[in-house]
Amino acid sequence: MITLQIDLVQDGFTLRIDQRVDGRVVAIVGPSGSGKTTVLEAIAGLRTPRAGRIAIGDRTLFSSADGIDLPARDRRVGYVPQDALLFPHMSVRRNILYGAAPGNRPPVETVLALLEIEALGDRPVAGLSGGERQRIAVARALMSAPSLLLLDEPLASVDVPLRRRIVPALERVRDELQVPMIYVTHDRAEAAAIADWTLALDAGRVVASGEIDTQ
Amino acid sequence: MRWAPEAVVVFAASSLTNVLDAAARAYERSTGVTLLVNVGASNSQARQIIDGAPADVFCSADEAQMDVVERAGKIAPGTRLVLAFNHLVVVVPKERARRLSAIAELLDPSVRRIAVGDPAAVPVGVYTRQYLERAGLWARIQPRLVPTLNVRAALSAVEAGNADAAFVYATDAPLASRVAVAFEVPADQMPAIVYPAAVATGGRNADGGRRLLAFLEREPGRAIFVSFGFGVPT
Amino acid sequence: MTGAAWQITAFTLAVALVATMLMLPIGVWLAWLLARRRFPGRALVDTLVSLPLVMPPVATGLILLKILGRRGPIGSLLARSGIDIVFTWKAVVIAMMVMGLPLLVRTARTGFEQVSRRYEDIAETLGATPSRVFFTISLPLAFRSIVAGALLAFSRAIGEFGATIMVAGAIPGRTRTLAVAIFTMTEAGDDHQAMVLLAIAVAIGFAAVIFTNRLIRHDHAAN
Repeated sequence: MITLQIDLVQDGFTLRIDQRVDGRVVAIVGPSGSGKTTVLEAIAGLRTPRAGRIAIGDRTLFSSADGIDLPARDRRVGYVPQDALLFPHMSVRRNILYGAAPGNRPPVETVLALLEIEALGDRPVAGLSGGERQRIAVARALMSAPSLLLLDEPLASVDVPLRRRIVPALERVRDELQVPMIYVTHDRAEAAAIADWTLALDAGRVVASGEIDTQ
Repeated sequence: MRWAPEAVVVFAASSLTNVLDAAARAYERSTGVTLLVNVGASNSQARQIIDGAPADVFCSADEAQMDVVERAGKIAPGTRLVLAFNHLVVVVPKERARRLSAIAELLDPSVRRIAVGDPAAVPVGVYTRQYLERAGLWARIQPRLVPTLNVRAALSAVEAGNADAAFVYATDAPLASRVAVAFEVPADQMPAIVYPAAVATGGRNADGGRRLLAFLEREPGRAIFVSFGFGVPT
Repeated sequence: MTGAAWQITAFTLAVALVATMLMLPIGVWLAWLLARRRFPGRALVDTLVSLPLVMPPVATGLILLKILGRRGPIGSLLARSGIDIVFTWKAVVIAMMVMGLPLLVRTARTGFEQVSRRYEDIAETLGATPSRVFFTISLPLAFRSIVAGALLAFSRAIGEFGATIMVAGAIPGRTRTLAVAIFTMTEAGDDHQAMVLLAIAVAIGFAAVIFTNRLIRHDHAAN
């Protein structure tokens, strides 16, 4: 159960949502500019709402009423941005291991196998395809043992033929690592394929919310 | 319509700053002619005049720099004369005022830095070196010397407390309030400090220069020099 | 090349190197602060750092002389412990640092500003402390700009004259840098020596430009 009570103003854009969502994969859908990325940034701790409460289960990440605002590094929220944003001065391996938390995290081999990137090892980040970058970014986020994984349009920078590899990889992550995910997309079909709860956003407001009906 | 008399450009040694300032005012009162006085180290000015600086009159702090300019052909023939004389003294910061009974006392370890115009070329520095060489102390004092660009900079260094002593002209010492004279260099132990002056050929007002020199070498010009502590030719 | 020319060149390169090394931690820290942090007095810090760039160097030198001289606020404290700054090589280093710092800070700051904040954000979500983010993300990605800024500051230090002559004088063998020596030798009429030093200064300038261009070209090739 994720509590999202967010009142955030940024550059003339207002985001106001009040939702409790539940599911292994929660999709946030909406047209561009509707505030989807802003929600993710607020959850990750990269933007601060002026009021509200953000909690994962009973762990509060942000509460204006109680004066809680955990810094991003303490939130244990993995963030996979739209363009992967792999650190350009590090190899694939160093990228993946950057946030590797000691102890309570999935073994590297497991994560690499789930995402089918075992072969990429020590290669530099330059010259990789969009799909490879995306999967490496997911691996990097997973290695920090997050309690929630945020994915911002994971298929947007991937060529269509290669998209078919990523969705199963994410499904494997969902099933075998049991990490809840929030999946942002503008494509309803994409959302329906993987998610079991959907939030529809438009102009900073929620216009629909609920479990996915299998249609 | 009356044309204002043209100004006279004077290049003069730093040590002449105050006396020429007074002389300029007196000259302007009596003739209406403005003096534009540019002061600096004489070696620096000599070089500038040779390179074409538009001086009408050059007042140097030693014969050597005047010779340099004369050899370069920049002096109007027959105009060279001796304006004044000076003496060398050692000054110290006022809070450490004392009298040295001998110049060798400058070798005391407490005297870490002695400011003086660059002994390689600035007249006051050249005079100082000649004196110390004759006294047989040059080699030992030289490591403590802080060369400055001109004599007034050496005076400032002592005034600010950044140097423990300085060689300056006797006429400079009274101008700084926070220094005291510690030693007067005996005139018979060094070459005479002479201020030659001449009309320079690079300026626009050679006649004005001649008239100024005439004023300075006769009364009331002489009296002004004497009032500032300079010696004058008899 | 005479012994004096060697000594002057070696001395100048040595103090410029020391000044640049000392400048780097201060300059990089200030650059990062100005690029990334909002704090009260930020505009003032920015102005103070840029001041030596726009003021006449002799004016800066005079201010340093007043502060570091034996009667000055800092100089007097040090003098009591027997430490002299003005008219020593330490004053040369300080003059070079003061004049070079604005160049280092401005160049490094641009470098930090060009590092996308998003990289730093991602690193934060991966659990990195601010210090780790700085040393593993911001600094490496801004590295070329920092090196360029350091080169600029080093070249400035080599050529530094106005502030140096004010606060350190021109003591042969102790505080006479290349630029100062060219001046004093010309003043003394020693044109030959001045020309020798001039040639050295030009050679150093060439080397600095070639080295910097290599750095930029390597950068482009890597991209």
